[in-house]
Amino acid sequence: MLTFDWQGVLSGQPLQWILSGYLTTLWVSAIGMVLAGLLTGLFLLLRLAGGRIGRGLVATWVSLFRNTPLLVQLLFWYFAAWNLLPQGLRDSINAPHSGSVLPGDVWWLSPEFLCSAWGLAAFTSAFLIEEITAGMRAVSPGQVEAALSQGFSHQALLRHILLPQGLIYAWQPVVGQLLNLMKLSSLASGIGFAELTYQVRQIESYNAHALEAFAVGTVLYLLTGMVLGLLLTRLPVARQKPARQARTSTQGEPQHER
Amino acid sequence: MLSALFSRSAAQAAEPYRLRQASVEFRNAGKSWGSNQVLRAINLTIAPGEVVAILGPSGSGKSTLIRLINQLETLSEGDILIDDRPTRQLRGAALRQLRSRIGFVFQQFNLYAHLSALQNITLALTTVHRLGEADATARARALLDRVGLTEKADHYPSQLSGGQQQRVAIARALASDPQIILFDEPTSALDPETIGEVLQVMKQLAHSGITMVVVTHEMQFAREIADRVVFIDGGEILEIATPQSFFTRPEHERARRFLNKVLDPLHTEDTHHADF
Repeated sequence: MLTFDWQGVLSGQPLQWILSGYLTTLWVSAIGMVLAGLLTGLFLLLRLAGGRIGRGLVATWVSLFRNTPLLVQLLFWYFAAWNLLPQGLRDSINAPHSGSVLPGDVWWLSPEFLCSAWGLAAFTSAFLIEEITAGMRAVSPGQVEAALSQGFSHQALLRHILLPQGLIYAWQPVVGQLLNLMKLSSLASGIGFAELTYQVRQIESYNAHALEAFAVGTVLYLLTGMVLGLLLTRLPVARQKPARQARTSTQGEPQHER
Repeated sequence: MLSALFSRSAAQAAEPYRLRQASVEFRNAGKSWGSNQVLRAINLTIAPGEVVAILGPSGSGKSTLIRLINQLETLSEGDILIDDRPTRQLRGAALRQLRSRIGFVFQQFNLYAHLSALQNITLALTTVHRLGEADATARARALLDRVGLTEKADHYPSQLSGGQQQRVAIARALASDPQIILFDEPTSALDPETIGEVLQVMKQLAHSGITMVVVTHEMQFAREIADRVVFIDGGEILEIATPQSFFTRPEHERARRFLNKVLDPLHTEDTHHADF
């Protein structure tokens, strides 16, 4: 019969590995999400204000990262792109710094951490760009004209009119992408990044407690996903109903005779 | 009350750039969508402080005409001079600066749906004109007071009637103390009962020093308040006249038919022959 030996996973060295891996997963996900948000904002602005060239660049970025496997992207960043950086920069990143260790003993100034966070952020941003763009399309074009007529810059238009409303419309898919980022961080084990999946596999080869180790790993992912999902859907942006547009304006119909 | 609100001191703190004189001049201006020419050879000079009503049937190009002034549409031919300076080549910051001197009121109000009435007015003041939060709020409250909506400051657009939304939109357009204000059929989307409250606000604004260009179907407004009436059809200006002469003896045949239909819809002779 099947017997479990939880002690082989939840004590001593294996426990250390699991904790370290879990904290690493949390950190790389958090930093990846922030980075993905910044990239998304930047590309949304480029799409809005960058003219034809800007829109072309955004389309290329989206197409590139949506249509290739994330694992391949991570391998590219780690084995190819990283080595294109100047030697001096790489050396200074690898050199010990006082600030290079995050709480929980997670080493962030390492090629593995940086490539993982960047790779996850680039991949996720491609999806976020399209989903938030779709949300912003639900904002009536009249509001955009009103802002332009008041002398708003593209930046102010995005920041104050389009994003606040577009995010409300697109919030559920956005939450889905952020949860995806957390789960997909497991693929970073493929470039030797010591996050949760990597550590769980290490236990398996250390004392052959595969079933217990993967069970613990699965539960940790599950709980993290549930808590994160709960938090994200409790944010003010998630609880707001999309503002009803002015009662006489009808979506899709031209608002002005020309 | 009016002069206090639109006084220059508040505006100068907000926006150092001002037009020396709020004139608008169309010089052979034209607009095409592909091969479809919607406006041709428009020549029109609007003096500072003047109130001009633009009349004409639907699809005649009235809306396009005023949307060209603040470049919500781009000009295809000719030029438009504002403050005696050509505006066609303006881009980026210079265009934004010009737009901030020109208020625009839309047929569909176009209030920012996620912001309260007060925030709809303060947003441009804090982001475009760099006013402090307290100054912007004080100015917005004064403007809401001005349009009779003091009580509705914290209401969202969806909680306001059409007439109230349009009055907030007018207050918003006035926030930057513009020297020119453009109205694009401001009462066409309103219930008949609420048209009056919007026209009242516009009437108080007229001849207060601001240049006003109003595309409208409200003949009474054009007749009583406008200094001049511009009649346009098929993308061309057919008649420019004082309301007095336009409404009593229109010169152009097309203007006569238009007035007949609009002023006396039940007794129009050629109703049956009208091309629908």
